Amino acid sequence: MFDLEVQINSWRDHLRARGNFTETDIRELESHLRDQIDDLITSGLTADEAFLISLKRLGNADAISNEYAKVNTDNLWKHFMLDPVNPQAERQNRRDIVMVVLFTLLAGTLLKLPELFGLKMSDAGSELFYVKNRSLFILPFVAAFFLIKRGAETKAWWMIFGIFALAAVVVNIYPSYAPHHTAMLSGLHLPLFLWLLTGAAYIGRDWQGRQGRMNFIRFSGEAFIYAVLVMAGVMVLGVFTMAIFESIGIDAEVFFEQYLLIYGVCAAAMISIYLADAKKSIVENFAPILAKIFSPLFLVTLVCFLAVMVVTGKSPFMEREFLIAFDFMLAMILGLVLYVISARDINQPVNLFDYLNLALIVTALIIDGVALSAILFRLSAFGITPNKVAALGENLVLLGNLAGLAWMYGRYFKKKINFTRLEKWQTDYLNVYLAWTAFVAFIFPIIFKFV
Amino acid sequence: MNVSKELIAASATPLLLAILKAGDSYGYAIIKRVKEMSNNELIWSEGMLYPVLHRLEEQGLIESYWYKSEAGRQRKYYRIKERGLQELEIQRKQWEVVVAALAKTWSEGTIHKEG
Repeated sequence: MFDLEVQINSWRDHLRARGNFTETDIRELESHLRDQIDDLITSGLTADEAFLISLKRLGNADAISNEYAKVNTDNLWKHFMLDPVNPQAERQNRRDIVMVVLFTLLAGTLLKLPELFGLKMSDAGSELFYVKNRSLFILPFVAAFFLIKRGAETKAWWMIFGIFALAAVVVNIYPSYAPHHTAMLSGLHLPLFLWLLTGAAYIGRDWQGRQGRMNFIRFSGEAFIYAVLVMAGVMVLGVFTMAIFESIGIDAEVFFEQYLLIYGVCAAAMISIYLADAKKSIVENFAPILAKIFSPLFLVTLVCFLAVMVVTGKSPFMEREFLIAFDFMLAMILGLVLYVISARDINQPVNLFDYLNLALIVTALIIDGVALSAILFRLSAFGITPNKVAALGENLVLLGNLAGLAWMYGRYFKKKINFTRLEKWQTDYLNVYLAWTAFVAFIFPIIFKFV
Repeated sequence: MNVSKELIAASATPLLLAILKAGDSYGYAIIKRVKEMSNNELIWSEGMLYPVLHRLEEQGLIESYWYKSEAGRQRKYYRIKERGLQELEIQRKQWEVVVAALAKTWSEGTIHKEG
């Protein structure tokens, strides 16, 4: 028996799995499909005939049809549209995989190269070198991957690699005196700065636009999840390798640390970005679910913490470490909120998770407000150090982001703005992160005299 | 007659804006309207129409909203904005220049043949 709804549902799922369509696009295409079907039924066709013809018309339009036919499910329309597998997409995919393998080997070898000049990774003396430069070993390859994939113009290559080169020169040309606080800070902030730069390579020409940036935020979250999974795999492989070699009396630890781990990290990075880019749909359906499970849990935890703090009258004991802990709290809340936002359909009406998001943000803001008022006092009493200023700066930058989001949510609930405006605000705020990380990485050492 | 891809692409924006100027509409209806207006000569594909619509929306020339028809179907309607009207006016002038020039060369061509 032919069931139109079932067929349309499965068609929708395949569009979704394709990953190139937003929910709105799919809804729009679906209403188009249904209009076409209705017209054909009115002119005397049966439902299944009308469905197949409408689909053929819609599908023929562009590469969509190729993508449907490729998918391996036994559906009525599949028999109808057995296009040959799109050879161009196939070729591109093969090229991407070659790039992943090649870049992994190059990045890993590049990481081993300093050892030839006596900078052993395990030596305490060369630790600083690796801390400062770690992101420069991998991120340029990630950027190159996207530039090649997007077929970027020469100008984009010059711009992005110019900034990479400049960053590399600057951090290495700066002197650093014990206890190396600013150098360490620079090593912490440079990866973020360069990741945002890599984002420009990912988005391409429209790097200032809302949609491109939102895609990049989503991509970052997904790549992160993939990276955690792949790294877990590498660790299991490492432990397993050591265990079986130990059974025959050979210590594989050195091999593991010096080769497997290094190449493994590079591979994890390259594979993650390849997967997050190519197989969007798998995690796309997965990340928002994780966010939706954990955002209520975080909310409960935060509200409990706040309640206990108020009831017992204890304010958080303020040390720099705790401020950093609160920075992490804000970053985590922001991550959760962003996962929910990025997976959201812009045209969807207000739903429970929007309120939950706002509640989460507001609670985090209150807790951070209490913590911040306590620490500002202590900071001023004990003098300024680069670490304190950096931790404080991070806190303010994140606070600004969350406060802005809360404000936008409020206006959105009052129907003063639509959701696009909220997203636009968030994507514009990326500029603040870019500026702040650049400031800490490049200007901080100068201000604090390279201590 | 098959109108070339390039020509269809070039004329898509002014045609779309002109259709939307006459009233809000949605993708399926727009394709039908273009077909009708051109006596079945211009067949737009969905793969071309929707990206163009989304691009125009991104550029702020048109805006979209969801609307439920009497039959209960949600459709994404597009509405022309002030900037779209201005753009249409500019494009109209450009096309008039092209059409006028073409008309002139063609009429000159026939004169030569006669003479």
